[in-house]
Amino acid sequence: MLDKIIIDGLSFALPLFIMAIGGIYSERSGITNLALEGLQGAGAFVGALAAVFLMQSFGMNSPVPYYAAIFFAMLGGMLYSMLHALLCVKFKANQVISGVVINILAMALTVFLTKVVNRLAFGAPSDKFELGVSQRWTFPVLSQIPIVGAVFKDIYPFEIIIIFVAIIAWYVLYKTKYGMHLRACGDNPHAVDAAGIDVAKVRFTAVMVSGALAGLAGMCFAYSISAKYSSAIYVGYGYLSIAALIFGNWKIIPTFAACLLFGFANSAGYQVVKAAGLPSSYSDLIMILPYVLTLLLLVFFSKHNNAPKALGEIYDKGKR
Amino acid sequence: MKRKVNPFSRLFVKLLGNEKYQSFTIPVFAIILSLIVGAVLIAVLGKDPISAYINLLQGSGIWPKPKYAGGKSMLTDLLSFMNYWTPMIFASLAVAVALKAGLFNIGVSGQMLASGFIASVLIGYSGLSAVVAKPAVILIAIVVGGLVGAFIGWLKYKFNINEVVSSIMINYIIQYVVAFLINTKYVDPVSRQSQNVSDASRLTLMNTQIGGYKYDIPLGIILAIITAFIIRFILNKTTFGYELKAVGSNRKASAYAGINVGKNMVLAMLISGSLAGLAGVTYYMGYFSSIQPKVLSATGFDAIAVSLLGNSNPIGILLSSFLISIIGKGRTYMSSSAGLDAEIASVITGLILLFSACSAFIQYKVKSTKEQIKEIEKQNNAEVKK
Repeated sequence: MLDKIIIDGLSFALPLFIMAIGGIYSERSGITNLALEGLQGAGAFVGALAAVFLMQSFGMNSPVPYYAAIFFAMLGGMLYSMLHALLCVKFKANQVISGVVINILAMALTVFLTKVVNRLAFGAPSDKFELGVSQRWTFPVLSQIPIVGAVFKDIYPFEIIIIFVAIIAWYVLYKTKYGMHLRACGDNPHAVDAAGIDVAKVRFTAVMVSGALAGLAGMCFAYSISAKYSSAIYVGYGYLSIAALIFGNWKIIPTFAACLLFGFANSAGYQVVKAAGLPSSYSDLIMILPYVLTLLLLVFFSKHNNAPKALGEIYDKGKR
Repeated sequence: MKRKVNPFSRLFVKLLGNEKYQSFTIPVFAIILSLIVGAVLIAVLGKDPISAYINLLQGSGIWPKPKYAGGKSMLTDLLSFMNYWTPMIFASLAVAVALKAGLFNIGVSGQMLASGFIASVLIGYSGLSAVVAKPAVILIAIVVGGLVGAFIGWLKYKFNINEVVSSIMINYIIQYVVAFLINTKYVDPVSRQSQNVSDASRLTLMNTQIGGYKYDIPLGIILAIITAFIIRFILNKTTFGYELKAVGSNRKASAYAGINVGKNMVLAMLISGSLAGLAGVTYYMGYFSSIQPKVLSATGFDAIAVSLLGNSNPIGILLSSFLISIIGKGRTYMSSSAGLDAEIASVITGLILLFSACSAFIQYKVKSTKEQIKEIEKQNNAEVKK
């Protein structure tokens, strides 16, 4: 049972984490990003679309559609996030409203398009894409270690990709010039502008990074939770990742801890219901655990957090 | 050399340039743009956009259908449309009041569900007579919705929790708790929804026979329209309304001017929540009579579009909610008679939202184009003089 908690907890926490990193990129550059929910759904839609078409030619069991799906999900999330960037950076829209609009539009569009594609391309009236079951890897020696070994058991391939991407994202944000500019844009855009760097460009790219990472996360959720893509992808994990990054104080490592906490709370809850032999309607009560936990944590941590100073402010050169 | 003004930009400025009417013209511009994009989308799918749009009107009882089933008329459709419109007005007012105070209440759907569920349990299943039950339902809605809203405001004021994040968390919590309670206690085994509430407690008089036709008479619509005017009065004519708007436009300045910012935020969310509560009972105990577990109504989210479109002005909201409700209500008829997926209606609503979110940009663009035209004309005049 402990094994199961660790395995499921990780496969939930890691996509949440990579999405939260996307949020950190966007918010550290000064753009509030409530659009993560919509970005992950839109990205996963594009990825799933690629996967179902590739499965036609490569077959259900080929790994090609799986990796292509992840790639296209990142691409789709990135393209769709440009809409948010355009609204926030160029059109000077209210960033909170823009984020919510992006989410609503993403939900409407993907549900609609899923139906249309299914009808036109496959002639079937369906509102979901069947993705097929993901491979799972178990490392031969490491997985034999008691307790900790579960970390290396039944791993989804995407978990490795996420860890890899997360390390790159960490390096870029903290160790490169671009990352420094990005963080400076969120705290003091006027200084960045004075140094001759284009604030709009940095912010635009930051939002695009968040879109790509959210798309990756969305695709992982689609594979790990249900092995299909449907409107069930919009269950609020985007908002959960925002809560995680607020709780993690807009820093990558503490955010990782927050995500692990959410992941394990979630999987432990399910296992408890299962072990206690309660009827399935009780799983609804377990479902509220991460949300209650988020609220509680926010109660304790929101007061002392230091959000990027220029977060949510439209950059106006004239104010310098 | 004489520079010419682009005729399109001249038309653009002429239509939208008058700042006095911009609060009306820009939303209309946004709507027209989104209807055009929607029409292109429908055309791409190989359907006739004009007839699809007319279908929306027909489904809402605003345009006559070619034929009606027995006992039904255009008025039946219209009253049914008003039944659908009522919760939309309340929900949009809820979003607007919060927006005026600088808060974004995205939790309207959750507040609706909480009040609808509690009113159903306490009154809907009680067997009270109509005279007692209907006012009690309204009272409970105001209290429950108000409490949830005030809680979100209090979290913001006391712990600095972003209201968007907290209200979404609360949305999910309410959604799952209500689903759990319905599934374990109040489920109707056939429909898999909560049991129907009594007719006495319902805020719509269903299937009323008048002159051989059947009508669903929504009682809430009168209350909704009166409420819109009350909210307008509070916002424009009272000290409280003034303080609320001051807090919304600049928190620091209002605090400096001696306004109690925290109190105003909590109060704004209290009112917003109560309005959402009213939306909840007119939805779950008026338009519907039961609750589907694990589903949040789209009304609470569409209300954001309505409120943005109506510039958070109560009267503007009456107009914009009318429009969005047509799209929401007419979609079923459109999908059955034009063979389009009903989901395209949500896409159009989403587009309207998208374009209205750009209204600040449109305003800025109009202004800059206007100045450009002036500049060119000035130059031209100067050259003529030479």
